Amino acid sequence: MPISTRDPFAALMILVLVPALAAADEKSGVEIYRQKCLSCHGESGTGTEDYPRPLTGDRSVAQLSKLIAKTMPEDDPGTCVGEDADKVAAYIHDAFYSTLAQARIKPARIELSRLTVRQYRNAVTDLVGSFRPAPAIEPGRGLKASYYKSREPNEGQKAFERIDPMVKFDFGESSPDPAKLEANRFSVLWTGSILAPETGEYEFCVTTEHATKLWINDSRTPLIDAQVKSGDDTEHRATIALLGGRQYHIRLDLSKAKQGVDDEKKKNPKRKPKGVKASISLEWKPPQQVGSPIPERNLTPARSPEVFVLTSPFPPDDRSVGYERGTSVSKAWDTATTDAAIEAAGYVATHLRDLAGTKDDAPDRDAKLKEFCHKFAERAFRRPLDDEQKAFFIDRQFAEARDAETAVKRVVILTLKSPRFLYREIGGSAPGPYEVASRISFGLWDSLPDQPLLEAAAKDELKTREQVAQQAERMMNDPRTHTKLREFFLQWLKVERGPEIAKDPDLFPGFDPAIVSDMRTSLEIFLDEVIWGSSSDFRQLLLADYVYLNGRLASFFGAEVMPDAPFQRVAMDPNERSGVLTHPYMLSSFAYTATSSPIHRGVFLSRSVLGRGLKPPPIAVSPLAPDLHASLTTRERVTLQTSPAACMTCHGMINPLGFGLERFDAVGRYRSQEQGKPIDATGTLETRDGGSEPFSGARELAQKLSASEETHTALVAQLFHHTVKQPIRAYGEQTLPDLRKRFVDNQFHVRKLLVEILASSALADPRQVPEKTDATATVTPANTNNPLSP
Amino acid sequence: MAHTGNRREFLRELGIGMAAVPFLLNLPSLGFANQQKRKQRLIVMFSPDGVVPKTFWPDEAGDQFSLKESLSPLEALKSRTLILNGVCDKVRGDGDNHMRGMGCLLTGVELFPGNIQGGSDTPAGWASGRSIDQEIRNVLQADPATRTRFGSLEFGVMVPDRADTWTRMVYAGPNKPIAPIDDPYQMFAKLYGRAKDQESLKSILDDLGDDLKKVSTQISAQDRQLLDEHATFVREMEQELKDAGTAALDHPVPELEPGVKEQNDNIPKISKMQIDLMVNSFAADFSRVATLQYTNSVGDARMHWLGVNEGQHELSHRPDSDEDAQTKLTKINKWYCEQLAYLAQKLADTPEPGGPGSLLDNTLIVWTNELGQGNSHTLDNIPFVLVGNGLDFKMGRSVKHKGLAHNRLLISLAHGFGHHIDRFGNPDFCAAGPLPDLT
Repeated sequence: MPISTRDPFAALMILVLVPALAAADEKSGVEIYRQKCLSCHGESGTGTEDYPRPLTGDRSVAQLSKLIAKTMPEDDPGTCVGEDADKVAAYIHDAFYSTLAQARIKPARIELSRLTVRQYRNAVTDLVGSFRPAPAIEPGRGLKASYYKSREPNEGQKAFERIDPMVKFDFGESSPDPAKLEANRFSVLWTGSILAPETGEYEFCVTTEHATKLWINDSRTPLIDAQVKSGDDTEHRATIALLGGRQYHIRLDLSKAKQGVDDEKKKNPKRKPKGVKASISLEWKPPQQVGSPIPERNLTPARSPEVFVLTSPFPPDDRSVGYERGTSVSKAWDTATTDAAIEAAGYVATHLRDLAGTKDDAPDRDAKLKEFCHKFAERAFRRPLDDEQKAFFIDRQFAEARDAETAVKRVVILTLKSPRFLYREIGGSAPGPYEVASRISFGLWDSLPDQPLLEAAAKDELKTREQVAQQAERMMNDPRTHTKLREFFLQWLKVERGPEIAKDPDLFPGFDPAIVSDMRTSLEIFLDEVIWGSSSDFRQLLLADYVYLNGRLASFFGAEVMPDAPFQRVAMDPNERSGVLTHPYMLSSFAYTATSSPIHRGVFLSRSVLGRGLKPPPIAVSPLAPDLHASLTTRERVTLQTSPAACMTCHGMINPLGFGLERFDAVGRYRSQEQGKPIDATGTLETRDGGSEPFSGARELAQKLSASEETHTALVAQLFHHTVKQPIRAYGEQTLPDLRKRFVDNQFHVRKLLVEILASSALADPRQVPEKTDATATVTPANTNNPLSP
Repeated sequence: MAHTGNRREFLRELGIGMAAVPFLLNLPSLGFANQQKRKQRLIVMFSPDGVVPKTFWPDEAGDQFSLKESLSPLEALKSRTLILNGVCDKVRGDGDNHMRGMGCLLTGVELFPGNIQGGSDTPAGWASGRSIDQEIRNVLQADPATRTRFGSLEFGVMVPDRADTWTRMVYAGPNKPIAPIDDPYQMFAKLYGRAKDQESLKSILDDLGDDLKKVSTQISAQDRQLLDEHATFVREMEQELKDAGTAALDHPVPELEPGVKEQNDNIPKISKMQIDLMVNSFAADFSRVATLQYTNSVGDARMHWLGVNEGQHELSHRPDSDEDAQTKLTKINKWYCEQLAYLAQKLADTPEPGGPGSLLDNTLIVWTNELGQGNSHTLDNIPFVLVGNGLDFKMGRSVKHKGLAHNRLLISLAHGFGHHIDRFGNPDFCAAGPLPDLT
């Protein structure tokens, strides 16, 4: 039988025979490692004093082998090539380098975690809020506006009512409705709620020539009291801290009339008052944005009860693994929880009447306060108290304090300082229904379970995947879920902190903070649109051929929209733009002041979208100045700078991705040439299995990414971590591939993925050791932001 | 009434945390570095609606004079009193006299045009400048040797819950009125709130330790390390609270009568509570500038406790020929003067911490009013009754000027603190410099 490589049997023979023949003079992978690598990389690749970095990562065996052949050993490259390189690469990969190998060495587990700062703030807010009516959620937008003939809102003098989408009026010298209101004596009352998208400081600004007052959240004390109009002071500003994903009571009063002594009757009816102008605008400046009139989408006529917003500062959470988690404590954190507990106790004490539903002189006051405290502790601990706990947390405090108010304060402080509140779960036993309830609510809302969830727990109706999914679906359309997903995608896009974006004013005239702010708003609207649309299709984030533009942005980018138009969907040339990859906010964030930055863009695509672990550059490098290489294009300059082999180990992946977006300059405008040379936007996608897929331009790149299993796996893993705040590997090796499969089967439906994540994690038992890793598993877990990759 | 335990005792009772100590006690970093320099303080006390001239102003000028009925409560403090007659608020412009009387009293400058209509004249807005107490506060706060925790404290008694030109006399700057705090409990919380919170915190620490122990037994050995670390921080906090309890000095803290509601008939109680808190905050060096505002311009307190059932403002409009009104208004002003005397006496009875003499030796109180007289609404002869030796003015006198602008007195107050400005408020009234014959 002729030997042919096409013959499977013969091929097998060769595989078997070759090592046998070579065994005499050739070493095995492990032997080569011991001889050539161990002195620097240490036993099991853990590193040595001179080279402390652990040898872990996500390259394939083929890529590793190529890298070793080219660069190793460092003092004598080129002495470990060919089969030697292959063998040592295979050994390293299997023994400790790969994610799977690491998982084998160090199995992940569900760790005891305290509430993250976000969770703490939300939990305290919802804990206090649970004693108040729930905010009304209405689909309608804008504010309820009542117009009065009197100089202050007076029911008997109401002329008409309507919904005003925004408060931005210039009534001139006339009245809002000359048929119904006098020109120089009327008042207006706007009421409803504002929806705060993000957590942070909000500045409000009311501009008017007349008497005005603005209440936000607190319906008793106005945030802005400008009843007195004084001098040229027409702009009134004040700042308030708001928690994102909540709606807050708002009331705005305007009075066009003289205040103080009412001399209306003294007026001489024959003397016509001279014309006085009246206008009013209500603006805000959300965190990381410039001031703008509060848009219709952030206003609702629905009523909201007061929200307790904790203002005590906290040290930031550990995010070293890519998501906020609470697996460490510090003195600063402990002090912050004390200050926060005291702040909350103070708030509760001053609002007892409304929270505990009892008056200062009611005969049953003490009983009511005790009952309040009991509920407070139960809700804080997310479970009923047993008799011993009730005696300890409630009765004892009331017995020892000198009066009921002091007792309430003690209970609040003790409860909020208790590990039962501060830690997500205590007790290493299999999760009971109350643990499951908390996992669902913290997963979706970063907050405490609501009443229906606690009731389901009490009835033991949180036992199956279906029951968990059902609750998650019920809780999906809550503003807190919106906020959680928005935060996730902003993190995924690496822009959650609102990067400072400034551009060279000579090159990009008109690019100012207002443009940056609009670009961010445009991105946020786009994210909301895709995620909360009916198909919730993740791929649209990468593939959409439209952008949201308002008049200001449109004129900057040369699109045809009316100059003062609000944000609207504008179709783009699909050959040019493709989803977030070409969104101007992303492109300008990942760029220098004057030039684009293929490296920043490529790093974002590698890390976030593809979930690849990249090591920091081996040496600190500052980018080559464009003017030193005046004739080079950005692409040529980047190629020149990163040409050394040490750079190319990562930049071989990064650059060819970033080059795909070279048709966009530092502010995200489309261009077809640079330095008089046509743009070269070709690139390659280096896959984990060693493949190299060529593409040209943003759309082709986006198509490749959106179809890539790596992208899907990375997204699933990252959303899992954002939701659950524990390593996905701790839930068993099959969790990630299972979730990815469900994600694909559900047509990449983001909201369904969130439900699936909860359904597959909420019932997990923290004691359970994850099943032993199967080294032959075909799916490699995403190494996205993994603790194992530095 | 302040209970006179020592600071150590007080701290032990309240369990003040380390963080609060430097603020609360004004310990070395703030307080003792400047012992060489004398502490100076200023209090402006306001009562509304003018006075009854014939029962208010002494007939004589100079150091030989008798106090009339309205000022009779000052008898014991006569040698430390200076009565300035003939000082006038000459600021004109928008607003009625009650508004200008209030808004220009401490600012010496016109009101902005605005939308607040008074009983007459044109409508107006806020004052267009800073008030003298805030000017002095800023000077003191700019110097580390005189800086205090609050800089200034604004007390009120029954100030109506509305912000307008009649209810504000203190201004941080143009269009920046500062609201007085007229709830003694709120003021107490501002001054001592942290200490009270620390007390609650301290009371639960043992229980918290027990709870941590109990929870610790329920978790796996791997996770216990985190909780142990947490428990260490809690123990450290406990130790810090204990340490703070021993790092204390003498410092009396007022005990407020609980449950005093803000209503007209409680004015005497509230007044006393506020004065006690003020003297206390001076003793603790929380602040060296304070204002005390009774009601508001056009204030209408009903002093039932004096047998006066009409509102003060209503009475103040009655003509001089109405003897009943004159008697009642005299009673009312005498009552305000009693508050002044109580404040001054309390300062005189409180030793200056870390220095010789009493607090009154280093404090000047200026009692004033938005009008000279209620029924005429005049801004001439604004009552300025000064008590205390804080600015080294020559006290124990009745001084009669003729139509001098009150801006000059405001300048003198600044000069008394070593802040040598040559104008304050409208410069047209400042050319002649500080008020003559003060020192």
